[in-house]
This record gives sequence, C-alpha cells and structure tokens, in this order.
Amino acid sequence: MAHLEFQSITKRFPGVLALDGVSFAIPRGTCHALIGENGAGKSTLGKILAGVYTADAGEMRLDGKPIAPADPLAARALGIAMVHQELAFCPNMSVAENLCLGDLPLRAGGFVDRPALRARAREMLASIHADIDPDALIGTLSTGKEQLVQIAAAVGTGAQVIVMDEPSSSLSAGETRELFTLVRKLKARGLTLIYVSHRMSELFELCDHITVLRDGRHVATEAIPATTPARVVSQMIGRELRAQTPAHLARPAGRERLRLEALSSPGKFSDITLSVRAGEIVGLAGLVGAGRSETVQAAFGLDPAATGRVLVNDRPIAPRSIEAALAARLGLLPEDRKRQGLVLGLNCRENTALASLPVLSRLGWVRRGLERSLADRYQKRLRVKAPSLETIVGGLSGGNQQKIALAKWLARDCDILLIDEPTRGVDVGAKAEIYALLDELACEGKALLVVSSELPELLGLCTRILVLRAGRLAGEVPRTDFSETALMRLMAGVEPAAA
Amino acid sequence: MPPFLRNLFRFQESGLLLVILVLGVLLTAFAGTVRTPKFERTADGGRQRVFTTDAEGNRTPAFEVKNKFLNAQNLAQLAKDTSFIAIMAVGMAIVIISGGIDLSVGSIYALASVLGAMVLHHFGPEGTALAPLAACALGVLVCLATGALCGLANGGLIVALGVHPFIITLGAMAILRGIAFVATKGQSIGGFPADLREFVRFELGNGLSVVPLLVMVVVTVLGWIYLSRLAAGRRVYAIGGNEQAARFSGIRVGRVKLGVYVLAGLAAGVSAVLSLGYYGAATSGDGQGYELNVIAAAVVGGCSLTGGRGSALGVVLGALIIQMIASGIVILGIDQNYSQIIIGAVVIAAVVLDNVNTWLAKRRLTRA
Repeated sequence: MAHLEFQSITKRFPGVLALDGVSFAIPRGTCHALIGENGAGKSTLGKILAGVYTADAGEMRLDGKPIAPADPLAARALGIAMVHQELAFCPNMSVAENLCLGDLPLRAGGFVDRPALRARAREMLASIHADIDPDALIGTLSTGKEQLVQIAAAVGTGAQVIVMDEPSSSLSAGETRELFTLVRKLKARGLTLIYVSHRMSELFELCDHITVLRDGRHVATEAIPATTPARVVSQMIGRELRAQTPAHLARPAGRERLRLEALSSPGKFSDITLSVRAGEIVGLAGLVGAGRSETVQAAFGLDPAATGRVLVNDRPIAPRSIEAALAARLGLLPEDRKRQGLVLGLNCRENTALASLPVLSRLGWVRRGLERSLADRYQKRLRVKAPSLETIVGGLSGGNQQKIALAKWLARDCDILLIDEPTRGVDVGAKAEIYALLDELACEGKALLVVSSELPELLGLCTRILVLRAGRLAGEVPRTDFSETALMRLMAGVEPAAA
Repeated sequence: MPPFLRNLFRFQESGLLLVILVLGVLLTAFAGTVRTPKFERTADGGRQRVFTTDAEGNRTPAFEVKNKFLNAQNLAQLAKDTSFIAIMAVGMAIVIISGGIDLSVGSIYALASVLGAMVLHHFGPEGTALAPLAACALGVLVCLATGALCGLANGGLIVALGVHPFIITLGAMAILRGIAFVATKGQSIGGFPADLREFVRFELGNGLSVVPLLVMVVVTVLGWIYLSRLAAGRRVYAIGGNEQAARFSGIRVGRVKLGVYVLAGLAAGVSAVLSLGYYGAATSGDGQGYELNVIAAAVVGGCSLTGGRGSALGVVLGALIIQMIASGIVILGIDQNYSQIIIGAVVIAAVVLDNVNTWLAKRRLTRA
C-alpha cells in the first residue's frame, strides 16, 4: 500500500489556479522527486502536505487514513515536516533552543533545564551525524548548516515524511554532497522524502520516483530508471521548445547605451566590465550567489557600497544614485516583484505611474487624464488581463503583475532596461508574451540586460550571454556558440575536457 | 443604477457615515430631555430671558424642553470638540498611511500651545504692548512653527537613525511635554490680546463656533488634495504599501517620510492655535492623552496601521465618531472615568472589524 497518497488536490490563489486535481502516490522509504517549471505548483503541493497551506479540494491519505493538517504543527503531529529555503528559526537563539523550541525541557517553576536542553539537542544533531555546536546562534550558521538543523529538528521530533523545498539551491558543492549522504541515510532508516527541485541531475542521482507537474496539473509519475532527463523535460514543458529566432537578431545593433566599468561591491561582486548596445538583449547567467542581481541593482544605483563607473551613452552617471539612473533613462525590473517591484495594495494605474510621477505631475499635482491615458496605453500594449485600470494589483496573476511591473518602466520611457528574472512565477502563456515583448523592445532600439536562472530562456532570447561566477565575469558566449553545456561549464567553473 | 449612486455606495466612507447616523439616532433616543431657560434676542443683539405672563399678570420665567443630544448647543459643542481632534487626525492619517505612527501629537500640541501662549502673553495687554493684530499673528506663527519644527525633529531622527517611529515619537512625547512644563514652570499662561479669542469664538446664531469648524473643513480638503491629487500623496501611499518597491521606483523615501511628520506636527500646531483662541490660556498639561483620541480617529476612519491605506475624509468621520462616543458618555450620564475604557475598546473593535473585512475581501478574490 502506498504510504502517502494525494487525491485530486486543488489549490487556488488570487488570480491563479496553483494546483488542479493532482493525484499520485508515494511508497514508504523512498525519495520522491517533485519537478516542474516555476509556477508549476511543486512548492505549493509540498506546503499543503506540511500544513502551510490547506487544499481547497481533494484528499491526502497517510497509510490509508485521510489527513488534513490545518497548520505546520498539526502536520508535525502526523509525522510530516518541511525543510524550507527560508529562515525557519529564530536567528538570535541558539541551535539547542531552536531545536527544542516546541517542547523545552523544564525544571520545577518553569525554568529551562539547560543541561537537558543541550543534551537533547546534541542527541538530535548526532542522529543525523551533523557536526554543529548546539550553543551556536542560528544566525551565525551558513545556509547549509541551518538546513541540517532543520532536518535534525524534523527527524528528532519523529517525522516520517520530510518535504525538502529546493534544498540544494543555496548550498555549496561540498554541502550538497553532505546533504545527499544524509538523504540516503534517512531513506535507509525508512523515512519518506519528498524532494522538490528543478535540478535534473540531482533528482536522477538521488530519487526513486519522479512526479512531473505542469501548470498545476499532474503530468506523470514514473520510476527513475524508467525515464530519462530529456523525457522529463518534455513532460515539464509539454511541447517541444520552438526554436524561434527573435526578430531583433536580424537587425544590426546600434550604438553603445550602457557600459559598466570595473563595477565592484565588497562581498558581492568585483570588477564587472560589460556593455550593452541599442537593440541588443544581453543575458547575464550564473548560479545562485554569483552576484547577478547584485550587479544590476548596483548599476541602477541601489548599492551604497558600489565602486566603479556606470556610463550611459558614453557619459558617466553619478554612482549610487537611483535619481541619476532614472535621469539617464535606466529602469530596473527587480527579481522579486512582490517585494521590490510593485505596491500590491495600489491599483494598476497607480503602479504603472509610480516611476513617472515627476513626469506626470505639474507643480506637484498629478495630471490624472495624462496618467490614465499613459496607464491605459501600456495596459493595452502589454495585454494586461485586468478588469480595469483601477484593479488592485495584488489580486492579479503572476504574469499580469509582471507586465504591470514592466509597464512602470515603459511608461517612464526608459532606453535601458535591466531585467532581473523576467518570467519568475509566470505561467507559460504569459512567458511567451513577455519574450515577444522583450524582443519587440530590442527591435525598437532599447538596450536590455536580462538576468535569468532559466538557461533556455536566455538561450532563446539573447544576442549574447555573459556568465558570472562567484562575483566575477567568467566569460561571454556569443549566439553562435549557444549551448546549455557551454554556459553550465562557465557557471560552475569546469574547464572543457579537451583543453 | 446611475454612476453617481453607484459611486456613493462603493464610496469607502459610506460605512462610517452609516455608523455616525446610527450613533446619532441611538444617542437621540436614549439621551432623554432637559429643561433649559428660554432666551430671546433683544433688538440690540443681546440675550434676555423670556417670561410668560399669566392671566393674573404674574411673570414666570419660561422654559423649553430639549433633547439632551439633539439640540443646537450640544451639536455646536460636538462640532467644536471634533474639529480639534479631526485636524490632528488628518496629519496622523498621512503619517499612518506612510507606514509610520506619531505618538507625540498630544505633546506637540501642548508645546505649541504653551510657546504660542508665552508670545501672546508677552505682547498682550499685560506685557510689552504690541499692536494686538501683530501680536496675534506672531503668536499664531510661533504655534505653527513649533508644530512643524517638532515634526521635523521627529522625521529627521526617524530617517537619519533608521529607528522605528514608535520609539522616536514615544521619546518625543515625553521630551516635548517636559520642555513645555519646564518653560511654563507648570503655570497656566493667559492674558492674550482679546482679538484672537473674539475671532476663534466668533459665533453664528446659537453658540455655534464656526471658526474651528471651518478650519477643520479647510484642513480636511487640503489633506484630501494632498493624499489623492498630489504626487507627494501618491508617494506616501506607495511607501506605506511597499517601501522597497517605492525605493526601487526612484522615490526618495527619506524625504517623503520627513515631510509626513512635518505635516503631522503642523496639524497639531493648527489645533493648538484654535485651542489658544478658544480657551484663552494654555498649560503644559494640555492635550494629555490626545494621541489616543487622534490615533483612534485615524484607525476608526479606515487607516491601516500597516500603512498604504486610509483617507482624509475617513479620519475626520472617525474623529466625529470618537467625539460622539465621548459626548455620548456625558449625555447618557455614564461616569466620565469610563470614557478612556470605552474609546480604547472602540479602537480595538474597529481594527478587528477591519481585519475581518480584509479577510472577506481576500476570500472573495480567491473564489472569483
């Protein structure tokens, strides 16, 4: 009998159907991969199991018994735990305190029994062979170590099912190895693991079964030996990738618009020199932590510690100043649109006009007619699907939110667009529209610098791709040499075998 | 439905109007009546009691029976009391919409009153006589400038130190009142030129002081223009809604924040001017606990303490509700000492209601 079963799980968020009748089963003592594109619903499913979200419809069964954890605590009681990417602990408390937070050993009178606390924490850490000082503050640990503490907490409280959401995404190679060893040990002990990731190679190395989700729907559940990475990719995408050449490639690139000269920021990136010409889409690739977002943010004047020069149309602009960047007609579409890109409580019109207020106002008064016509123009041009200009942005789907975030800079009439993760959390249909739009903007002579974690996106869109590794420029790949392998080599720092 | 009516129903503040209406009806119904001597106007503009003469020629004073709540005097009183709070609440609304809070408004009000009073006293009839009009103008200016400067100090510290506004304004609340106390040595200061009092207490008909009311209307309109028509107001909403996104859009967050605290201080200064004119004296204990009423008015009026939401008209209606409750406590003969308890409870109830409302709206969005 299956250890864990999902039966027609459905979950709806404002504006988007995150999961649509997902059903599959997981046998005990296996590692089950959950894969899908961004927004496919893999994390949502994990969070429903761990009680972070509750499903709108459908049923989960653990050993045949229906379960519906209302919150993470209820899930814990059922033996289900989740290991998050985000900080799940109190950073200013010790490892031991965090591990026992839910059930502190007490002496008479409500005093914490410190020796018992430490002993129990040590025991929990030892059970997963983690070499971590129980007295260290959580905030001083690396992400990898903190993840180990999370796993120790899960195992120590008797979890039988552990959901790991992108566990390796911010780990170093060595830490990833350690994690793998641990996962195998846990499996041997009879624990069931759900491994949410989009790193194909890891899944094939580690997991027994794989479930592919696409746009919230279940596509396939197969045993790992019975499938291949290529097969999984086509299941994720649901169609062959159309190798359509963007139109901007056919046009000659114009004059140089943006140049970064020896741009550096301590601890983030150093000595970045690059240029983008009118009509070009230049990709910026790199692993997590390579300094991609940090670089474009610094170019936009957001990094107070940045040194080096930013030149627009051959003229240096004041560094570390957003006003100077705006005046030079630079725009930044940030990585995290909910936190950095949009004011979710304001409507489409207000968000579109947000960066253009100085242009739209006369003597401090917002010219409302002008504002409305501007917002309306870009709403139509970007085909934003919203009931009206007055719709609150927080209720729109990811794709439409992203379009509004982009409209903000188009309304400002930027010549140079720094675009960080253009399609994160955007559904497939809107992705294609955003690609077409970026191509169109390049054709109009705008200069685009695009950061993305999705290599196929960069390979499809860009004129050339620059690769960052550990905060430094590792190389440039022209379109003629485009391949995932070439990029991955540069990103990971692996020399070509034949060299 | 014609668009005008539809807009009225969708109108954010219509719920508040409804609450005011219900409160008014309840107060009228439960207030009971009072017998007051009847007055009439004489030919020269004075007031004299009305007498009735019975058949035997005995003159007995006439009385009239009025509803304790619904009578001209009480409503005029209510309007005046509301305007003092409402003016400050408009400033507070702007601060709260920006995602901040200002606990020091009561103290700014006291300090502005006291400093204004000292100037008015100094140049008043008992001091170095200056032309009364010039003395008044100087006093008013000092009041407003004190308010604005206190706000500037609040805003400056909040922006420069990056400390939560709660802490800075909590400190300012104690410091500013302390300065007011030291400056006055705890004494009440009066003896102003009569002109100020005559102007502010100018009455229309039956004891209705129109000046505070008019000032409130002007401040409300200015607040409304600032928040909904000026680019500056849009920036305030953006910062309160998502400070980081505002910064990423090129908005100078620090400058805007500085501005909102100056406006809140200025509003307290305006209220202080009215109180000087109305009461003709000031002490360092003035406006004690006003921050409760002012924040209550803003919250009841629909400002979200997480920022990004609220309106000028809403908070003025919120101030009216708070003041109706306060005056209702008096009229219904409830012990005065309960008023703080009741107002505190109303604030909590308003926030709970607002949360329920937000939750419902979110659910509607999800189901849609």
